[in-house]
Amino acid sequence: MKRTTRRRLYAVLRFAVLGVWLLIVAFPMYWVVATSFKPDHEWFAWPPVYWTKTPTLENYLTVWTGLSRVYRTQEALSMQKPWLALQHSLTIALTATALSVALGTLLAYGVSRYRLLSDTRMFNLLMLRMIPPIVVAAPLTLYYAALNLLDSVTGLVIVYVIITLPYSVWMTKSFIDEIPLEVEQAAAILGASRWRTIWEVTVPLARSGVVATFMFVLILTWSEYLLALILTKTEVVTLPVQLAKYEGSSEGRVYGRQAALAVGITIPLVVIGCLIRKHLVRGFSFGMVKR
Amino acid sequence: MPRSRGPGAVFKWTLLTPFFALLLFLAPVFLLQLYFSLHSWTIYLTNWWDAEFVWFDMFQDVLTDPRFGWSIARSLAFAAISTLGCFVAGFGLALLMYRPFRGHGIFYAVFILPMLTVPIVIAYTFEMLLYQKGPLNGILSAILGTDVNVIWLSDPRIAVVTTILLEIWNWTPFVFIIMMAGLSALPRELDEAAQNLGASRWRILLEVKLPLLRPVIFLALTLRFLEAIGEFPKTWALFQGGPGTATETIPVYLYLTTWQYFHVSKGAAMSYLVMLLMIGIVLLAIRVLRREKRVLDTLYTAPARP
Repeated sequence: MKRTTRRRLYAVLRFAVLGVWLLIVAFPMYWVVATSFKPDHEWFAWPPVYWTKTPTLENYLTVWTGLSRVYRTQEALSMQKPWLALQHSLTIALTATALSVALGTLLAYGVSRYRLLSDTRMFNLLMLRMIPPIVVAAPLTLYYAALNLLDSVTGLVIVYVIITLPYSVWMTKSFIDEIPLEVEQAAAILGASRWRTIWEVTVPLARSGVVATFMFVLILTWSEYLLALILTKTEVVTLPVQLAKYEGSSEGRVYGRQAALAVGITIPLVVIGCLIRKHLVRGFSFGMVKR
Repeated sequence: MPRSRGPGAVFKWTLLTPFFALLLFLAPVFLLQLYFSLHSWTIYLTNWWDAEFVWFDMFQDVLTDPRFGWSIARSLAFAAISTLGCFVAGFGLALLMYRPFRGHGIFYAVFILPMLTVPIVIAYTFEMLLYQKGPLNGILSAILGTDVNVIWLSDPRIAVVTTILLEIWNWTPFVFIIMMAGLSALPRELDEAAQNLGASRWRILLEVKLPLLRPVIFLALTLRFLEAIGEFPKTWALFQGGPGTATETIPVYLYLTTWQYFHVSKGAAMSYLVMLLMIGIVLLAIRVLRREKRVLDTLYTAPARP
């Protein structure tokens, strides 16, 4: 075969393979969005309704505002919560993330500038984080019960800070490492205190890194399910737990509502993810990918 | 940087204090777990301090429980197969994508979406797709021209495959992004040199790129494997360990033991064993990754110009 023919064949094949994968990824996404706009009788229809002709906003109104006419007994009970869940999810995720990144930045600064922990030890800590949290979840529950932290926003925030701290430290560290020492020394010579140096020199210079870390950790805390499920009962609900509970209503499966809830939960993450796309690698390559 | 011992040392420790505070805060959890694993306590006993001290009976209990052995085997198999699947798909896509082309950005943006989707949302999305008279079977029927009736969710053997496919769908982007970064960080010169020497694309991939990418490959495989062992939300939301015990992985069985059968002591003993196993795997992973990192560092710190 001639070289150009081969190249063209390769290009065609490539687009075919990529196209198939695009469908595999996009179709489920499309389906959940489509379902969220379908009226009740189309959720289960056979043959499936691929494109609804009677789109409705009812699912969204029901789930996110409680304004809908569809306010029936059983469903109503589990529907009380979405607003609360949104509020709790926002509070918990934002607070935990802010704390985690703030602490993480300080620690990272120490690790980077003072070698508080060797890189090796940091790396080991990070890897130990890979042990699934479920192994300490049971004693944690009882410990929390004793401290009166069960079913509270504070309790979840503390846990989330602990489990995301390794990521915060590691990600910000790689950004702080890149800031030349001379800048800080100059600030010190000009008479800035250490804290002022960190706050007014280092952090602003590492800003993009800190923001990326914030977003990354926010993704982790926003979507966390297991610990939220175990450590909360009735008072505090987060969105993932709320979504899972929705199924429990005796109305049977309410796909349209679940879909509306699911879309709402996912959109912020997709937006954030696209914003920090370029930094995602840093979050989980732990210095193994050189740029 | 100031490295004096006086105020510097104080400052240093100020930075570390929150870290130690958190460790101290967590310490009782591990003590509690030790207590539970050596006593026999279930939630039906009101006071946990009334529990009977039973030495290592709980551990014996766990070790003679065939469900525990199976859950470990299942988790390891699940993690291994899904990791392999993610790797093949992710690396394959990265190889097709790492050189920019028209439409590159769109593909990239869509490909990373599953990773940005909340796992529990993925579970429910696929529940909407996979029930027997559902859209996926509908589409497959239309494509193949026959009536496809795959029982994705309630046939024990197929349910296992479903969990693996979901995990692959969810985490292929992870491998994809890492491998994209790895591939585009490769020095171009080597590639060109090999091409000038007349090597085929295939040989360049096998003999130039793969060896250079080894550290990155190990990283992707290790992280994916470790994360897959802990996978809980999707499996739980869709299957709760069922049908039968087909999808009962370690996290699911642990959850069932502690929060459905309320056997906290047995769960604690089980947790210790799982933790030991995980620490073993992690230590092994650290050793492998450290070695690879050293290779990587020597590769890239070589002087750029003679």
